[in-house]
Amino acid sequence: MPKTLEAVEVVVVGTGATGSLVAAVLAEAGKNVLVLEGGHARKLTDLYSSQTWARRLKWAAPEVFGAGPDSIWFNFNAGHGYGGAAVHHYAVWPRFHEDDFHEKTQFGRSLDWPFEYSELRPYYDMVQKEVGMSGDAEKEIWRPAGDPYPLPPVLVSNHGKVLARGFEALGMHTSPIPMAILSQPYNGRPACIWDGWCDAGCPIGALANPLAVYLPRAEKAGAKLRPDAHVTRVLMDSTGKKATGVEYFSPAGESFIQPADKVVLCAFTVENARILLNSADAKNPNGVANSSGTLGQYLMCHPAVGINGLFDDDMQNFLGATGGQLLCQDAFGKTSDPGGAFGSRQWEIGLALKPNDLLGIAMSRPDIFGAELHGFMQDGAHHMGSMVGVCEDEALPENRIELSSEKDPFGYPLAKVVYKAGADGVKLWQTAAAEGVKIFQAAGAREAWHGPQGGQHIMGGTIMGADPAKSVLDSTGRAHDVPNLFVAGPGVFPSSSAANSTFTAKAMAMKSVRFMLGNWGA
Amino acid sequence: MTLSRRTFVDRAFKGSMLCLTFNLGGAALLLTPEEARAQGIPLQKLTEEQARQLGLLADAMVPGAAELGVVHFIDHQLNADPNEALLIAKYFGVALPYVNFYAKGLEVAAGMAQKATGKAIDALDAAETEQLVKSMFPPGTMVDDFPIFLFYMCLRSDAVDVVYGTPAGFEKLNIPYMQHILPPEGWNA
Repeated sequence: MPKTLEAVEVVVVGTGATGSLVAAVLAEAGKNVLVLEGGHARKLTDLYSSQTWARRLKWAAPEVFGAGPDSIWFNFNAGHGYGGAAVHHYAVWPRFHEDDFHEKTQFGRSLDWPFEYSELRPYYDMVQKEVGMSGDAEKEIWRPAGDPYPLPPVLVSNHGKVLARGFEALGMHTSPIPMAILSQPYNGRPACIWDGWCDAGCPIGALANPLAVYLPRAEKAGAKLRPDAHVTRVLMDSTGKKATGVEYFSPAGESFIQPADKVVLCAFTVENARILLNSADAKNPNGVANSSGTLGQYLMCHPAVGINGLFDDDMQNFLGATGGQLLCQDAFGKTSDPGGAFGSRQWEIGLALKPNDLLGIAMSRPDIFGAELHGFMQDGAHHMGSMVGVCEDEALPENRIELSSEKDPFGYPLAKVVYKAGADGVKLWQTAAAEGVKIFQAAGAREAWHGPQGGQHIMGGTIMGADPAKSVLDSTGRAHDVPNLFVAGPGVFPSSSAANSTFTAKAMAMKSVRFMLGNWGA
Repeated sequence: MTLSRRTFVDRAFKGSMLCLTFNLGGAALLLTPEEARAQGIPLQKLTEEQARQLGLLADAMVPGAAELGVVHFIDHQLNADPNEALLIAKYFGVALPYVNFYAKGLEVAAGMAQKATGKAIDALDAAETEQLVKSMFPPGTMVDDFPIFLFYMCLRSDAVDVVYGTPAGFEKLNIPYMQHILPPEGWNA
């Protein structure tokens, strides 16, 4: 028999980018908040500088099965334990553009958001001030309206300067990359020392991961954090229209019922959908918040291409931030692709490099082995340049999260992801791959190449929309079917843009939580 | 075995930052994979034959990996909680438990060696071993319905981790490590 615990006003599921923010803002408003985290507790001092040790921050279990020709690289993109994926994210925080919010209406593609950019703008501004973003708004010629960044731009080393030559030679623009990394001390946190360990987690708190900003605020304001609490279901009352709390399990298999007035799912894209699907009951036979039948659908993942090259210059590629030094959004216009593909693209330029791991020097040429590899490593450690191209992925209903026939240790179906990158996304990727090599050659590379198609940022599955018959959530992140159930994170996006997802997920979470506070008794 | 903070830091910089806790006769030993290999710490998951094959292949991919204890590193991690595991296999979506993947990869590689040369992996000469490794690489290569390419990617990365993913590895490349925090003693106990 599950043990029923003392009720709280709000139970937040997940301690990552959005769960930490929601918990902090609600607790600071005086609400009684409990945050449940499926993974272990973690502190800033647990973040060790090593690409090998960094892997324990990433997801592995419960398994998420892939079904479909393409991978969303779930384990690499997701996180486990306090801070979730945001502990190891690279803090590249460009805003979505105006056109991202009405693609269906303007272009007949993807889906519309239930509001325009102007409605989200104040929350972008609010979050960037709270975390301390670095950048140069004026030099981001593509940037939609917004407040200037509170801090000057991040470091541009020789790596960035050399690669910028290539963009300039081809008549393209670059700007400092907007980052949630401190270029100067801010609100008691120290500035970055440009050591490139972002993927391993930033223990000094210069990068605005949840352990550095919102989780401490949440705890200070009285929110309780409970680790190793694996949430399996949202529990519903007899009407099937009101959430009464959640069910969770300890690693030992003990089950608990946590009653709450409001439930906020912030367990990242796949787990949020899995929890809702697994919450099916007599009144909600296809899963909670799924009267539209769209729960799990419109999964998106940015097709991404890594560009690497060898230069005669001393690149200083060990310096900087993992997410890069410069940004280019010249190809962000939805119809700017020369091949006619729909969607946006962007370049993140001058990624700090380490010798090992998925984005490391050795992996950039997986065909090289044996004695030749040692020579390549010596050359690459001093002369390699790196950037990544990120492409929009169209929202398509056939890309989806489903329940698998396999079950977790607690007896609930695991998630299965059915995914094939959209045809236009693949074309954008091909354009980016060719363009990236050309840029490196223009910058003076003696050798340049691109990697295979990868995937960054996992979005959709619990999408917002104006029409309850075609979406899961309303414009505030609240379930159309269940007024006291909210979902936050990139899973709520109805379209993917080509911009990194964390800033927009946070801005949207701020919009949700402000709505909740403004309508508490409703 | 107790390590002073100073000894640990010295080891981390001069040797490896992959200090792991190995068990021997009920005692927990904090060792680098290189030390575990040198001291003959018993393996937990891999058989002797598997360990021999794994070491030979990893060393052919990244010379020096065997001496630096790549086999002990992998064996130790095959024993870990998947969410705490340090193997790159997790990024590639390898199905759990990872030990099955490594065992099958070695089995398939051994079959490829037999088919090409009529020899076992540990009977191959250097040129034959190189040819075997080369035949595993082309992206998407499947042998006996097993993604041997993926096995190559994982094992090569494991070998790169022990050779280049440590302060000593950075030193070999003459680039600064710039660490914030080193893994503490007994962290992985």
